Amino acid sequence: MKTRARLPRLVACGATLTLALTLSACGDGDGGSGSDGKIHVLVYGDATNKVEKQLVEKFNKTSDVKVVLDTLPGADYQKKLQTIINTPQAPDVFFNWGGGSIKPFVKAGLLMPLDDFIEKNPDLENKFLPSVFNNAVVDGKPYGVPMRGTQPVLLFHNKKVLDEAGVKPPKTWDELLEAVSALKAKGVTPIALGGGDIWPTQMWFQYLYDRVAGPELFAKALGGDKSAWESPDSKKALDMIRELVDAGAFGKNYDSVKYTNAGSVQLVASGKAGFELMGSWYYSQQLTDHPDFAEKSLGYTAFPTVSGGKGDPKNVAGNTNNYYSVMKKTKHPEAVAEFLKLMYSDDFVKAQMDIGNLPTTTNTKDFLDQAADPKYSRFQYDLVADAPSFQLSWDQAYPQKASSDMHKAIQQFFNGQLDTDGFIKAMQALPTD
Amino acid sequence: MTTQITSARPAAGPRKGARRRPPASNATKVGRPSFAWALPAALFFALFAIAPLVMVAVLSFMTWDGISSPQFVGMDNWSRLMDDPVMLNSIWLTLLLTVLGVVIQTPLSIVLGVWAAGNQRNRAVLSVIYFIPLLLSATAVSVLWRALLDPNFGIPAEATWLFGDGNLFGEQATAIGVLAFVSTWQFTPFHTLIYQGAARAVPEVLYQAAEIDGAGRYRQFFHITLPQLRNSMITSMILMIVGGLTTFETVLILTQGGPGTDTTISAYYMYDKAFQGFDFGTGSAIALALVVAATIISLVVVRVSGYDKMRSTMEGVS
Repeated sequence: MKTRARLPRLVACGATLTLALTLSACGDGDGGSGSDGKIHVLVYGDATNKVEKQLVEKFNKTSDVKVVLDTLPGADYQKKLQTIINTPQAPDVFFNWGGGSIKPFVKAGLLMPLDDFIEKNPDLENKFLPSVFNNAVVDGKPYGVPMRGTQPVLLFHNKKVLDEAGVKPPKTWDELLEAVSALKAKGVTPIALGGGDIWPTQMWFQYLYDRVAGPELFAKALGGDKSAWESPDSKKALDMIRELVDAGAFGKNYDSVKYTNAGSVQLVASGKAGFELMGSWYYSQQLTDHPDFAEKSLGYTAFPTVSGGKGDPKNVAGNTNNYYSVMKKTKHPEAVAEFLKLMYSDDFVKAQMDIGNLPTTTNTKDFLDQAADPKYSRFQYDLVADAPSFQLSWDQAYPQKASSDMHKAIQQFFNGQLDTDGFIKAMQALPTD
Repeated sequence: MTTQITSARPAAGPRKGARRRPPASNATKVGRPSFAWALPAALFFALFAIAPLVMVAVLSFMTWDGISSPQFVGMDNWSRLMDDPVMLNSIWLTLLLTVLGVVIQTPLSIVLGVWAAGNQRNRAVLSVIYFIPLLLSATAVSVLWRALLDPNFGIPAEATWLFGDGNLFGEQATAIGVLAFVSTWQFTPFHTLIYQGAARAVPEVLYQAAEIDGAGRYRQFFHITLPQLRNSMITSMILMIVGGLTTFETVLILTQGGPGTDTTISAYYMYDKAFQGFDFGTGSAIALALVVAATIISLVVVRVSGYDKMRSTMEGVS
């Protein structure tokens, strides 16, 4: 079929463009804010909500202005948020990824700069790791307070596979290339990649650019100076990616593999691949899918250094953290400021660590020993705490509207549909504000 | 109670009385349906179909990112689309997938439908199993096939002689092949159902007459069954074409329009522009173009096939 309902559905889909404005904001039903004397906090709906519910309950016990937690389930959070943000249904405080995910809202004058809050209570800035806090700074003003946990991207590996091929976890790019050919000779895919999702492919770009050129190149490009993409450093990073792909590091069918259906996860766990570059959530993913492998043979290291690269080898890339941003129109700014203080409280840190998140507050290190896997948590914490710069994932750093075209360019360069010049042109065509 | 049942059966006894009664009650109590009867439906249709369509049409002349207020830009969105290589490519891909759907599914569902119209018991059971894909949502079907076609752990890993390195979603030809296959797998049962019903409605006397004239099974199929299925074929093909033009979920879940833009069909491109690129103006223009195209093509098919003349096959064999 492709059914009788398709055409009306398509029309209805178009209708959503306009009617979405009238829809209720929140999964829990009682959306809307301001008028009911409460603060509405909108968060991405997932397992972490139980921590947020605890915090809200605790806050409401002592506060006159009550907080209502609204959850918005599903991966389309950003898209749904954008449809309600400029309507009466908009929340007072909302979850986001910092960077480009809030830039359009800042530009539209919807968000409240937090410098007044911070002036009254400097802890709102001082209690967080600077490399993380800075990712919610737009045009020199802070627009977000970190919440939940940090997610640096790490190079994971299967210890057994590496041992059998006589390979040590690589510290430098050259060692990685050597490891690739050694693993290939053993008949395993050197690096597992869920290219079907594209964002895992992007991780290779954001790390290599940072190692080769330092964070400045990307910052420049994001600032609107598109010549950055044509620079020799940019071309060098692209050449290195090309070299790695052509060396067969990812096999031939990476675009048909997905991380989101656990295809690439299984590749590493089953010993069919050696490495995988993935966010720190990978550990708990393996622990869920393949507990035996995760406990015995899953290794992790930082991304290799690149000799002659301008970027500090200690730099990290990934999702820095999630943030709470505040709407300018909120009727209870004092209560909101009080609520945000909770984000660096001991209770918050403890509760997050209990469910495997790694908060980015300065007091986190006091609780590292209480984590599910203290060694792993400490490794991550030190990595992020020592990082001079934390490169936010490219598709989160750019405005949301650029992400689809960026993904296309990345996938096409990786599989050879675009050459270096084509990729540069595609990146230059992306909107930066 | 019992009398009513028997009277409803035309073959049974008091046939005349049963025939006379309904018209009488119709004329006196119910009256001819007036426009008022259509009002609720018309209102709903206007509210949920016409009004959004008009709004989309207006929006296609505006630029809007979903946050700030929309601004009129005249023909900008439209003229940009005309020069957009991705848009042109998406039209070609949409047509290709639609034609593939019709060409593959029509013969398949006719053969299966005629076969399923038989009356042996095992056929009934097999038919029921066969119709299961019809009950699944396109989303579930797509997720299922994406997992089944995983190059390392799915079917391709077991049948390397057929799939090679299994990079089905990494190349345009195979990605389109997968899309065509998955929609065939899901939607052929629906069209089979149409043909099954139609094949069962072919008067038995035709076959009896043909048999007396010495026609074999194949002759009967081509000279009786197939012509008798003509109207069903048009219905089925219109559904396939309109469905093909607006295919969306399979692409969203199986390929995301990729690799690159290799499977970006028009409906997906609309979604990509509007909901990923926050360019609701361009998205609306694509949506409107799709609605217009689907309407025109449906009208053409109806006209060319003579469906609009509402010729009845009840009168005899024509």
